[in-house]
Amino acid sequence: MIKMTRYLWRFIATVALLLVAGCATVQPWDRDLLAEKKMSLNPSPMLQAVDEHIYFSKEASMGGMDAGGGGCGCN
Amino acid sequence: MRLQLEPGKAPKVSLRDALHGAALALLMIPATAQAQSTPSDRIDVTSLLYGEQGRTEVVEPVVRFTHLLPDGQSVSAQLAFDVITGASPSGALPSGTVQTRTSASGHVITSKAGQIPVAPFHDERVELEGTWHKPLNRLVSSDLGFHVSREKDYQSLGINGKVSTELMRRLLTVTIGGGVSHDTVFPTGGTPAGLSDGTIVKLGSNAKNVTNVLLGASRIVSRQWLVAVNSTETLERGYLTEPYKVISIMSHVNGTPIGELTDKRPSTRNRSALLLSSVYHLTDDVLYTSYRYYWDTWSIRSHTIDLKYRHDLGDDSYIEPLFRYYQQSAASFYTVGFVEGATLPDFATSDYRLGRLRTITAGATYSFRPDFVTGEITLRGQYMRQFGNGSPSNAIGIQRNFDLSPPVNIVAVVLGYSFDY
Repeated sequence: MIKMTRYLWRFIATVALLLVAGCATVQPWDRDLLAEKKMSLNPSPMLQAVDEHIYFSKEASMGGMDAGGGGCGCN
Repeated sequence: MRLQLEPGKAPKVSLRDALHGAALALLMIPATAQAQSTPSDRIDVTSLLYGEQGRTEVVEPVVRFTHLLPDGQSVSAQLAFDVITGASPSGALPSGTVQTRTSASGHVITSKAGQIPVAPFHDERVELEGTWHKPLNRLVSSDLGFHVSREKDYQSLGINGKVSTELMRRLLTVTIGGGVSHDTVFPTGGTPAGLSDGTIVKLGSNAKNVTNVLLGASRIVSRQWLVAVNSTETLERGYLTEPYKVISIMSHVNGTPIGELTDKRPSTRNRSALLLSSVYHLTDDVLYTSYRYYWDTWSIRSHTIDLKYRHDLGDDSYIEPLFRYYQQSAASFYTVGFVEGATLPDFATSDYRLGRLRTITAGATYSFRPDFVTGEITLRGQYMRQFGNGSPSNAIGIQRNFDLSPPVNIVAVVLGYSFDY
């Protein structure tokens, strides 16, 4: 429970940081570049999944990207 | 394929066309595929070819089918098949003589004097994943998913889900998600006792349960800049030991390996990761950067920096160089080996992946839409080099003469083909 509370506080702090980052409002008609597919945080999910699988099998770390995903006995 | 013909000159093939040809030939795409007028569904096919110098080789074809439904919903199913062959370090130390090792499945492999002993293996893995995406209203969407995977000695069943909502006039997107997975480990030949000579104590399966929580937020900072923070917490409970890895016992006289004990890891592990990402649109190109800090209850800390730079070559093609740097500290129970007569700890491993490690990755992605076939073809090549700690402080005797963690060279190539129909 203590761990979970600490985790929530950490997240709230980072979201607060994001909220104050860049105070300017970007109007909907100014979002032409942001609407492009290549402006996605993960424009190639399948390539990303392949990379994550490789790194998971060769290194001790994981996480940060998404919830869930296929299990593997490779590490 | 387009050729650039000029009067009086031999036909030249541009680099772009040469890459097109190579990718098409490798993928064996029929030139008869035709575009259709109303794309509604999508098929993605990728194939991974992975090779470590002198060690593991992997071939992994993946096919993903996505079906679009009314109201912005979609369902997708993905099937992957891995074939893994070769050998991986057993965890044992090298000796001054030739060493022969037999795997649980009966394969035999010989290691030269002074060479890190490796254990041969062959495995196949099948995985099925499914996802259902559903917008709940104009600002809120949800995803539900499942996975089932099976290999010779491992099985995983899991479900996951997440909800995203857009706030502050769609400048901020907050995502909350999670997943649970019930995995089963059934080592070939039975489960050995930890830190033993390999005595089998169990013939059945061992449970491993994984719970994952995700909290994420992305924020539009300007017309051309998007940033995000993701935080994940993963709790693992159950059998987390690697049953085929061993730890050498060194002679206290000269460091020669005189025996082996099995690996033993704690049955709980809490993993935390904080990922900061940025996508920045330059005039035409896009710069992707991310940094991840990872820590867990096995005392591993890691830093990962990932850079990608996408440069459009035209409306239908782009090239994207990539660079990644990774660095981790060792698990608290990692050891290169035991000196004979020493008191054994509660847990220990010599798996180099839990030791001090650095990985450098460099590569590039090239993607294009060919003229004579509908869809997009992607070709990615990567070179990875891993560096461990080759001269650990607790190595003694002859072990000081050997590189106990020689660099690992890895090449990975991914071929992809996607089309709407």
